[in-house]
Amino acid sequence: MTGSLQRYFSAGVLAIWGIMLGYFVISGRLASYLHPSFHIWTAVSAVVLVLLAAGLLFLPEHEDLECESCCDHLHDQRTPVRSGVTAAILVLPIVLAASISPDQFGAVTVNNRGYIETINDLPSYRPYVEPALPQSDDSQPSSAKEDDTSYISKNAAGQIKAQTIDLLYAAEEPGIRADFEGKEVEVIGQFMPGRENSTQKDRFNLVRMFIICCAADARPVAITVQTDEPHGVPEMSWIKVTGTASFPIESGRRVPLLVANSVTPCDPPEETFVY
Amino acid sequence: MENPWFTFSLPDFSYAFLSVLLEGVPFILIGTLLSGIIDEFLPSRVMVRFLPRNAFLGICLSGAMGLVFPMCECGVVPVIRRLINKGLPVSNAIAYMLSAPIVNPIVLVSTYVAFRGQSPLEFTLSRLGVGYLVAVIVALAVHHLPQHLILRRGVFSEVSTSSKTSGAERLSVRIGNALRVAVADFLDVMVFFVLGVMVSALFSTSLNQELIMPLALNDWIATFSLMVFAGILSLCSTSDAFIAATLISFPYVAKLAFLVFGPMFDLKLLFIYGAVFRKRFVAGLGVGLFLLIGMICVRLRILGL
Repeated sequence: MTGSLQRYFSAGVLAIWGIMLGYFVISGRLASYLHPSFHIWTAVSAVVLVLLAAGLLFLPEHEDLECESCCDHLHDQRTPVRSGVTAAILVLPIVLAASISPDQFGAVTVNNRGYIETINDLPSYRPYVEPALPQSDDSQPSSAKEDDTSYISKNAAGQIKAQTIDLLYAAEEPGIRADFEGKEVEVIGQFMPGRENSTQKDRFNLVRMFIICCAADARPVAITVQTDEPHGVPEMSWIKVTGTASFPIESGRRVPLLVANSVTPCDPPEETFVY
Repeated sequence: MENPWFTFSLPDFSYAFLSVLLEGVPFILIGTLLSGIIDEFLPSRVMVRFLPRNAFLGICLSGAMGLVFPMCECGVVPVIRRLINKGLPVSNAIAYMLSAPIVNPIVLVSTYVAFRGQSPLEFTLSRLGVGYLVAVIVALAVHHLPQHLILRRGVFSEVSTSSKTSGAERLSVRIGNALRVAVADFLDVMVFFVLGVMVSALFSTSLNQELIMPLALNDWIATFSLMVFAGILSLCSTSDAFIAATLISFPYVAKLAFLVFGPMFDLKLLFIYGAVFRKRFVAGLGVGLFLLIGMICVRLRILGL
């Protein structure tokens, strides 16, 4: 392959990568793949790759320059076959994957990774630390004066808007449990049927994916929902469950159990992951 | 085990594949831009002048370079390729390559945070210590090997023939040269990265992870099986501690092996290393690291860890 063709080939591959990355950023699909702290890196990379592609096209060809002792890599001439294979590896997988990917995991990976059903199994979970005792003049420490229920928000019907992860915390920590136990809550998540060998056929799992960096490290965080009504929704589709939060002790440990009043399909939330 | 040990889903595979690509590309880009700058602006042999004459001290110093120049495991490969090209001894480059993803301030902080409540200082220091020790031991082991047995032919010829002295060239021309090198390195490394991510995405989505849970009962089995798990998952070294911290049922030394082996050798690195090293060397490196880290971690049990 000649130097010019090599240049166009490299610039083309860089441009495609830059455009693909830019597409994920601009379309908002990136939020389904990466933790927000990584988004800026992807955006900057998209711009840099496009600029590199343009730079390659507009910089003078290396062969035109005066060069007394060139190094080998600048004259690395690939054969057309090798360039074709390289292009195929660099371009086809990302384009095909972008067109196939549903922007979320399906039931296969969720089942393979297994559910996080207790908060102790959650990456980054830290056990609750008791607040400081009252001071000698009977005044409360500053942290104790804060409104402990300030993190709770409610929907128009007065039900607490909770996440699966909140109910896992509540099962472990009595202080938080008191905020939810016996109260009406609304939880949005993804539907997964109960285990096939379970004797309790009126139960299913409500799942949210917890990530640290990207979807590749995602772990499904699940609570159990109990309902008599047939719901008939496909696996991993988004549903809104309203019902009463309870925390019974089952198999020797306290678990969150949402006794549902209604189960309805809904759109994915703005943030599909929990962090 | 309710589910089969292996179940493939093309949409899930595509999703995991894309997520690692989107996360990893910026860091490879940083590494390759740096490699272009090193190639064009770092005078040949300057590395050698700054390193101690004693090979052992040089390797020890290279193993600690990550504290000053932190790099992730993907970005460090194109950088060491250019450093070798600039005269850095291969053994020193390998010491830096293996240690930089562990012996670096970002990873130390993330390890400490991930293990809060589980002896975080002990975990962080033992990860730092074992990571550094393994990098230095491997570098010393390859120190006497001839370069042609370690480096790919193209890389080797660059080392032996490169004598570019472009100090008199205009800055714009030199920037152009740096960009060309960066682009060439980016495309080379990305080919291996894409292949590696494909393999790791296949296993991380298709393999039933319940398989590893019964392995936690024995120190030896737990340690070596968690290293295999780390190799399959191909996690970034800044985030792997958060996953390791959740493996509560596994012994301390097994989690340590997971945290040291993963950043040094995993499925994506198996392919990325191929951009610089000979296949036989990469295979030997993988087996050597697996055995060395496993033996060190299991022996640490004697110290009561």
